[in-house]
Amino acid sequence: MTDQIKINVNGSEISSKPDQLIIEACEDSGIHIPRFCWHKRMDPVGMCRMCLVEIETPRGKALVPSCTTKVSEDLVVDTESDVVKKAQEGVLEFLLINHPLDCPVCDKAGECPLQDQTMAYGPGESRFVEDKRHFEKPIPISEIILLDRERCILCARCTRFSDEISGDPLIEFIQRGNKTQVNTFPDEPFRSYFSGNTVQICPVGALTSSSYRFKARPWDLKKVSSTSNCSSVGDSVELNVSQNKMLRILGEDNEFTNQGWLSDKGRYNFEYLHSEKRIETPLLVKNSNKESTINETMELISNEIFTSDNRNISFIVGHNSTNEEYYALNKFVKNLNKVKNGNSVGSINLYLSDDYLYNGFFNDDYSLGEIKDLDSADTIILWAQDIKDNLPTLYLRIKQAVRNGKKLLIFGHTNTAIKQLSEEYYGENIVTNNFEFNVEISDIPNLSKYIDGKDVLAIVGKSSPLQNVNPIFQLVKHLDENSNLKILNCFSKGNTLGALQNLDIVKGLNEFVTEFDSSKKNIVFTVGSNPVNNSIYSHKVKDTLIDADFVVSLDLFKNETTELSDIILPTTTFGEKEGTFTNLEMRTLMQNKILPTPGSALNEWEYWLILSNKMNLLESYETEEELNSMLCKDYIDNGNTPSFDNLNKPSNLDGILNSKTINIEVENVDSTNLEILFVHRLYGDTSSQINSPSISMLGSERFIEMNSATYFGSYMLNSDVVTLIQGNNSIQVNVNINESLPDNLLVVPINRRGFQNLNPEKKVELEAAKSREQLSVT
Amino acid sequence: MSWEKELIDKANEIIEMYPQKRSALGPLLYLAQEKDGYISNDSIVEISNLVGITEVQVKSVASFYSMYKEEQTGKYLLSVCKSISCEINDSRSVIDSVKNFTGLENYETDTEKVFTFEEVECIGACGGAPAVQVNYETVEGLTSEKSVQMCEWLKEERPEIIVADELQEKFGGVKSFDWAIKDNTGTSYSVPGFQNIGTAKEKSQ
Repeated sequence: MTDQIKINVNGSEISSKPDQLIIEACEDSGIHIPRFCWHKRMDPVGMCRMCLVEIETPRGKALVPSCTTKVSEDLVVDTESDVVKKAQEGVLEFLLINHPLDCPVCDKAGECPLQDQTMAYGPGESRFVEDKRHFEKPIPISEIILLDRERCILCARCTRFSDEISGDPLIEFIQRGNKTQVNTFPDEPFRSYFSGNTVQICPVGALTSSSYRFKARPWDLKKVSSTSNCSSVGDSVELNVSQNKMLRILGEDNEFTNQGWLSDKGRYNFEYLHSEKRIETPLLVKNSNKESTINETMELISNEIFTSDNRNISFIVGHNSTNEEYYALNKFVKNLNKVKNGNSVGSINLYLSDDYLYNGFFNDDYSLGEIKDLDSADTIILWAQDIKDNLPTLYLRIKQAVRNGKKLLIFGHTNTAIKQLSEEYYGENIVTNNFEFNVEISDIPNLSKYIDGKDVLAIVGKSSPLQNVNPIFQLVKHLDENSNLKILNCFSKGNTLGALQNLDIVKGLNEFVTEFDSSKKNIVFTVGSNPVNNSIYSHKVKDTLIDADFVVSLDLFKNETTELSDIILPTTTFGEKEGTFTNLEMRTLMQNKILPTPGSALNEWEYWLILSNKMNLLESYETEEELNSMLCKDYIDNGNTPSFDNLNKPSNLDGILNSKTINIEVENVDSTNLEILFVHRLYGDTSSQINSPSISMLGSERFIEMNSATYFGSYMLNSDVVTLIQGNNSIQVNVNINESLPDNLLVVPINRRGFQNLNPEKKVELEAAKSREQLSVT
Repeated sequence: MSWEKELIDKANEIIEMYPQKRSALGPLLYLAQEKDGYISNDSIVEISNLVGITEVQVKSVASFYSMYKEEQTGKYLLSVCKSISCEINDSRSVIDSVKNFTGLENYETDTEKVFTFEEVECIGACGGAPAVQVNYETVEGLTSEKSVQMCEWLKEERPEIIVADELQEKFGGVKSFDWAIKDNTGTSYSVPGFQNIGTAKEKSQ
């Protein structure tokens, strides 16, 4: 078979890949065929008939749907003939029969394919004089999505998405004929991590999101491309802003990362940007939160660093800074080190606020993979934290790969949600509750069948904060010896890889609490991180911060950490700053600024710059661009370093793969008796989510998981609401039964408040609670 | 759990007949319908757990096909053919007299839950038109008088099991051909009698 075949469209010859659909081949050659149901990331259904074209067949010309007809050599296609035009007019006339004329109050109006195509291809006048069919409108089908069934044209994009792409078909066509409607099952709402995508791909205003309803008109929106901080996949997004308010985030189709899809967290977690609780001026916390100025606080901080001798300085860094900000921080630390000799500063350390940090696979012994290797590998190995909750768009890519015949092998007890996708699920028979191997790796059933001599992509990382990582190293060594292995290091949070690339040496929170020397004077900076919440080390970090002499927090909101600070400095975040982002495959992508900086907030790097200047440690940069060109010097010079200039070239809109040396120094933890498996859920009690009203309730439920043997056997419970007790801690929780879990292991979400003080190695007591109603904290 | 163990066992037997669990959806919906006279939401939850698809996917299938009822039917489902062959053989008078006797409009069920009346498309008995089905057991060659007699008989006798041959003998006229399988036994409630899934009923005499 040749690589390209020739087809004739509207009298001119175009080339096409064999087996391509006519609609795709035409699209690639710039010929637009109208459509509603066809979407390039989903299987065709031929539902709407809008894409009818005329082709020549041995029996004369015929109208065929171009979304279900494949090209063949010398195929003659006419997309503009009178017959085609008549057909398009007819299809539109039928589609409009029951479509309400409520465009003036419809969110989709102005960017509505039905509106646009009616203008371009429609009959112009309606002949329909009868009554239109009516449904109650709109009905909420989940907490964040509303459905207007009158507007629906039955293209099946949403139902296909939920079945094919996200794998949680909670919406379907109900009824038949004129009564056909999309709907959910009663009491079973469309609670999908990916439900927002259906709103984006809906070709009419049938599906709308609660956060964007009636907020703006598409023609009033200012738009810019950017990269989402939601996970380290680095989803490409388009930010939509009107009157300096972020109103909507849309997914952009980046072939290498998210392929157009977003998780609902990535899509709807933005309302916090305009929350009234946002900190906009520096605050002196110990002085009853007195408002201060940048100048005054910078003076205070530089005095603290310089006036007394031999102070230890620690930085606890979060995941939402740009590469430029990490780089500026790193330069600041280097500067501080320079004055060390003046006997002014003790030791200086950088810690990343991530419980899943471990040393990873970054040296040259292993070849690193990319996300697109999922589509070319024979076998995908997964030993990591819950992918669906932590890297939701990577989960979609894995699901797609499995659909295309790749074999998925899962190790451990965290990825139970995608067990049904796996060829082999190596659970409790292979991996103990402490995440160690029960058997020799060479004895694992069927493993050699899937890896020996095969192309393998291993997505590896810590499954649980307290996992000993040696079994991962054993597994990777075994895979490396027996297969053609590529590794995708699984660090899930935001710009973690950017931090690793641009900070010289990074340690974890465990190191922070063990290295903290209370006999010394201590200054702690928390930079866009809230280590007193969301971490298994939270209570220790809290003690440490209480003990520290001077704490400075750079943050957006008051939170558990800032309560213990001396000074809070307001910073900027996603959408308010320009910079670069590095995803988990070390692809660097652009984050663009579209919103003004709130109040007197500054970018993190500006604080480091001011502090440097205050201390006469003169810096040679004044803008993000200058920082960016400085940090690019450390990348491998292959002619395409991730500079702003290069990233803004049209050929690099999908990002630039480039690497830097990475140094992590994290001690291995060794827990021998895990009773509680801490996991990180997609939705939680983070300040950003709590302050985004549309999604704030999604992370409020307190629940734990266990299998029914543990539930009925060990705990002898029969209530699905229980009180969890360990020492002085007690918390009411819902119980979800998950049969994929091993016996005697409780799964607990660490990013929801109330669980941080539990000791994972001590058994917990469970008591049936009296009330069966759903418990949630408001 | 809305389904008794006996019914779940029966469902599992049916599921085993298919290479994929979800292929058993059709027969399982009939089991649900035989249980309640319609497909209840409780049954849908039960079936979705049994075959491993979501509730709304079950609902989608159940609401698509008109032989799966969304509302409870009466003890006897009267399906009167309104298609062309019956129409030209005066099915209109049969329809009218059945409607008149039961007092029901299309798809209605009486308050005592004895009859459900529906006009249906071709039931494949053109040779013996006009034809009627009672709980999917076919009677051919009916007249308006015979159909009223049949309804009266059903109302008075309240037979548990309906057998086509018996109805034909009592009320039928011209029969197209001997189409029924030899050991046709009969049905109860608004579910067709399938030997292999156990909805065909033996009349005890």
